[in-house]
Amino acid sequence: MNPAISTRGRRGLWGFFWLLVIFLYAPIIVLIIFSFNDNELVSFPWVGFTTRWYHEFLANGTILAALRTSLLVASITALVATALAIPASIALVRRRFFAKGMVSGLLLAPLVIPLVVMGISLLILFNTIGIPLSPYTIAIGHVVIALPFAILTMVPRLERIPAALEEASRDLGATAMTTFRLITFPLLFPALISAALISFTISFDEVVISSFVSGDQATFPVYLYSQLRLPERLPSVIAVAVVILVMSIIVVVASEVGRFVSERRLEGKTGMSAEELSSLSAGKG
Amino acid sequence: MAIEADVQQAAPRTGRRRRGTAKVNLGLLSVPMLWLVLFFLVPVVLVALYSVGVLTLIQYDEYLSLKPWRDFLHSSIYLGGPLGRGLFWKSMKMSLGVSITCVFLAYPVAYMLALVAGRRKYTLLLVIIVPFLTSYLLRVLAWRVILNPQGVIQEGLRSAGVLGADQNIAWMYNSIFAVYLVLAYVWVPFVALPIFVALESLDLHMLEASSDLGASRWTTFRRVTLPMSMPGVIAAFVFVFIPTIGEYVTPQIVGGKSGLMFGNVIQASFAQSFDWQLGSAMSMFLIFVVAILLAIFGRYLNVRAVAE
Repeated sequence: MNPAISTRGRRGLWGFFWLLVIFLYAPIIVLIIFSFNDNELVSFPWVGFTTRWYHEFLANGTILAALRTSLLVASITALVATALAIPASIALVRRRFFAKGMVSGLLLAPLVIPLVVMGISLLILFNTIGIPLSPYTIAIGHVVIALPFAILTMVPRLERIPAALEEASRDLGATAMTTFRLITFPLLFPALISAALISFTISFDEVVISSFVSGDQATFPVYLYSQLRLPERLPSVIAVAVVILVMSIIVVVASEVGRFVSERRLEGKTGMSAEELSSLSAGKG
Repeated sequence: MAIEADVQQAAPRTGRRRRGTAKVNLGLLSVPMLWLVLFFLVPVVLVALYSVGVLTLIQYDEYLSLKPWRDFLHSSIYLGGPLGRGLFWKSMKMSLGVSITCVFLAYPVAYMLALVAGRRKYTLLLVIIVPFLTSYLLRVLAWRVILNPQGVIQEGLRSAGVLGADQNIAWMYNSIFAVYLVLAYVWVPFVALPIFVALESLDLHMLEASSDLGASRWTTFRRVTLPMSMPGVIAAFVFVFIPTIGEYVTPQIVGGKSGLMFGNVIQASFAQSFDWQLGSAMSMFLIFVVAILLAIFGRYLNVRAVAE
């Protein structure tokens, strides 16, 4: 007897699971379907199949400019957040120091502050010290909210890289820099890519902070948000958004699959199973 | 690079290597910490100072004045008002309802994935989470296409003859219901994560022990599984509750006038009425609320559950 579930309960849970999946995906699919509807209202009635909204956005300079701004902001965010997360994660996993709880609390605090508050406080900061609003001010805010996610992506991976490997390298005479370059960095690399992708995705999609500190160069979500009041522009904006949505689903799935594969490879490289790796790092605590 | 050079200098070559010198830790932590102090802590302090007029920024600002706080605490935005119910409490109720709904929807799914699904559990978990990682605005927008009077549901009902040609379902769009439905939709995948992690780390032998000692499955669930997964449930609850209190995007897209929330008045005080100080006072108030919540629930929060 399975103490977790009865046969009937199992069927019920599977049914509930698939209902939730339908609930989660149906709206997205509806939106994709209606982005091909030859109707300016993005709704019923179904007039006919068209790709003209997709052509239209390619000809729309404002949308392309907004996309370029978003790309710039998200790239800076991904780079900076990942670069800051590497030393922070190493410190959190490998080192002991005074007030560690407070430090990790601060590093993760942006997770629990409402975005509207972050947007307002950055707006007031930039106004107080007189920094003009630009894509760079958006990126500054996005790094703050992406950093905890980048750190939380790297920490588990770092914990599973046995410190013994680094110690062995040092014992054999390698400098700390060489050890980082030849041992830690290659083993950490998959998590680094994940962290960069997550930071990029967070930034590319973020609308609240962006709308407070964007100045006159809107990012794509800010532009999309501003167009919601003008129904006639909506179809082509939705067409772009659908393209982005599909692309982001592909990126997310690919990065998750990549993470899974690299976990397997870490086990292969170190010659230890996942359990051994985690017990090793747990023992080191 | 420079950080690692520090590591080399700091670690003595002889004897047992000391692992925790202040210099290395400083080298590793200084830049990330500086970033957060400059662009996260300092700004929050500035908002606090600004809300009482220690500094002024735009022409409507009042120097050294508690007026923003008085306005906020006495107006209908907070507690008073003609109906006796302020927007803040409306938002609290909304966030509470959304968080509880999300937990109830996500728990069975997390339970199924963690304890029943077997080897496919990570793939299936990914299926649940992927929507959360796609465009937030777009998912909200999708509901506008579905719920609005010319939308999929109402037009569908009209063509099926259930709804008359000139009839609308008023509660479905530009309503509190719409905000509630869409927020729950948006946050459900995220809630599933911490609950899944809590259930997955459960020792199955304990469930077997419980059943060997004669407990029914329901008793096992009530006395063993549920209590042991509570940290995940609380984490899930807090991680939905906090971001939704300040939410203004969803109410603006599907809420209409009746779906307006606290976040909307904060946003409007900056974007429309240019009463920045009032908006700052309300932001600070939100921070207090969050701080209180964290003080109560903080020890249950295992943020790692969100990432793994």
